[in-house]
Amino acid sequence: MSDVVAARDLSKWYGEVLGLNGFTATFGPGITGLVGPNGAGKSTLFKILIGQLRSDKGDVRLLAEDPWNNVPLKRRFGYCPEHNQVYGWMTATRFVETLLRLDGLPAADARTKASDALELVGLTKAKDRPLRTYSRGMRQRAKLAQALAHDPEVLILDEPLSGADPIGRVQILRTISKYAREGGHVLMSTHVLYEIERVTENIVLIHNGKGIASGNLHAIRALIDKHPHAVRIDTPQPREVAQAVAGMDHVVGIEMSTADGLLVRTRQPDAFYRELPEIVVDHGLDVRGLESPDDSLEAVFRYLVG
Amino acid sequence: MSISLPTYTRRETPLLGRRDRLRTIVSTGLRREFKRPAAIFTIGVGTAITTITAIFFVLFAPFLLQGQPLDLRFFYLPASNLAVLFFVTLMASVVGAGLIADDLDSMALTLYLSRPITPSDYLIAKAAILAALISMISVLPLFITPLLGLLLGLFPWDTALAAMGLAVVVGSVLTAWYTSIALFLSSLTRRKSYAAAGVFGVTFGLWIPAQVLAAPTALNSPDLLYLAPWEDFLAIARGAYGVAGGPIDWPVALAILVAITVLAGLATYLRMRAVEVVTG
Repeated sequence: MSDVVAARDLSKWYGEVLGLNGFTATFGPGITGLVGPNGAGKSTLFKILIGQLRSDKGDVRLLAEDPWNNVPLKRRFGYCPEHNQVYGWMTATRFVETLLRLDGLPAADARTKASDALELVGLTKAKDRPLRTYSRGMRQRAKLAQALAHDPEVLILDEPLSGADPIGRVQILRTISKYAREGGHVLMSTHVLYEIERVTENIVLIHNGKGIASGNLHAIRALIDKHPHAVRIDTPQPREVAQAVAGMDHVVGIEMSTADGLLVRTRQPDAFYRELPEIVVDHGLDVRGLESPDDSLEAVFRYLVG
Repeated sequence: MSISLPTYTRRETPLLGRRDRLRTIVSTGLRREFKRPAAIFTIGVGTAITTITAIFFVLFAPFLLQGQPLDLRFFYLPASNLAVLFFVTLMASVVGAGLIADDLDSMALTLYLSRPITPSDYLIAKAAILAALISMISVLPLFITPLLGLLLGLFPWDTALAAMGLAVVVGSVLTAWYTSIALFLSSLTRRKSYAAAGVFGVTFGLWIPAQVLAAPTALNSPDLLYLAPWEDFLAIARGAYGVAGGPIDWPVALAILVAITVLAGLATYLRMRAVEVVTG
């Protein structure tokens, strides 16, 4: 299957401010996370994808089509904007229904689909309340409902977890996962790093308008060979373990982080994991657990942006 | 023996056309305005005052125009009512100024344009919302006046009918001008107060200086009145109802108002086509 999104050398200026700077990346099927700090260019990229911003340079395709002024393409995606201002006087039902009517759905179908979508995001009980009475998390869910109510092929979600309460976050992630399992594609931007790991390993990292890495989270991490890989060792004998692993050629640093553990940095994680059991046995050490904090997306991102 | 498998085709939900989608924006917009106290006040009070004064003109027509025949020219009186000018301007400010600016500010435009509608669809729907509300002040009272006059037997039916038709035409020119200008100003800013001030500025900021400067005691140049939209409208109304005199010619005034209406509409259309919904 062709890429859901293909962007090549995409640039966008806001006057003298650079929104995107030669962004190049492809987003495949399933869920892809677009990760970057505020101002990195995530929203700019999404606005270009939905045809509401025109790139100054480069080429972009959504579902193999140019999104700028492409009205028929709008039926094929659902968009959940980042901003939290919606028509507060509307009930959630009316809000979703109105946007479905703009898709061309007859009134009865729009009402049914709105009700279904609100049920999917867990807003059935509150669906007849005005949106101004909603919490921020509930509004996020209402926006998600309008994005997926018309059964789009692609969901484009700009910071869907922003401001959501814990229950709302779970509900949103559950909805996104269900949608993807049923064959939909999701592009989701966030800076809530640990939560995107729950739904996907496919990520695109963006910083200062540039795509700095894309692919599988672990594959990206493996590419960063110039950065030492950190391994946290849980042991009641941190000093003894430190002395034992210090002799390994590829170990470049050891931190005695806590009384019952230490953090080892190695340039060859594969060799480290292969050799450690032998060292533990030879020295009669008590090692109770290993954990790699580098598996977290945050660590990858921190490394990549320096 | 052969067995053929049944074939199935997926039944797609039939999608409604452009007109239905536009109607959705219009009904949503009108519903919203009828929930806003400022809009309710303007619609209610504006319609009431202009209509009541129009009825007043009809009831007291024989006293107001003593010695003059009650013909088509009489209907220039309700058309030139200053309450019409004030409330139409107020309506364009209160309702029109926010129609696009509010959507830009709240990013509702993002949601609208993420649906299969074009910027021109959006603009046409917004214009329909404003035009419908302005018409309640610019057309309705002018239409009711001859209707009431006819029902009371003050005017012959042919005069009343002609006056009703002219009310629609004359009122529509004013409606179109205000709709076009208000939407143009609204599309330029995210702050509706700026657009509202612009509507008042264009109306009274041109009318008052033009009157002052055109006076015999100042420049004594009636042509300056062409700069004032209200004076242009009055000239058109005079021409339509057959009122003689007046400082400026109605064909030129009509050309000016129509040209500005078309230009402002075109400019708004081009602006909406090019509008890039920048994240706030």
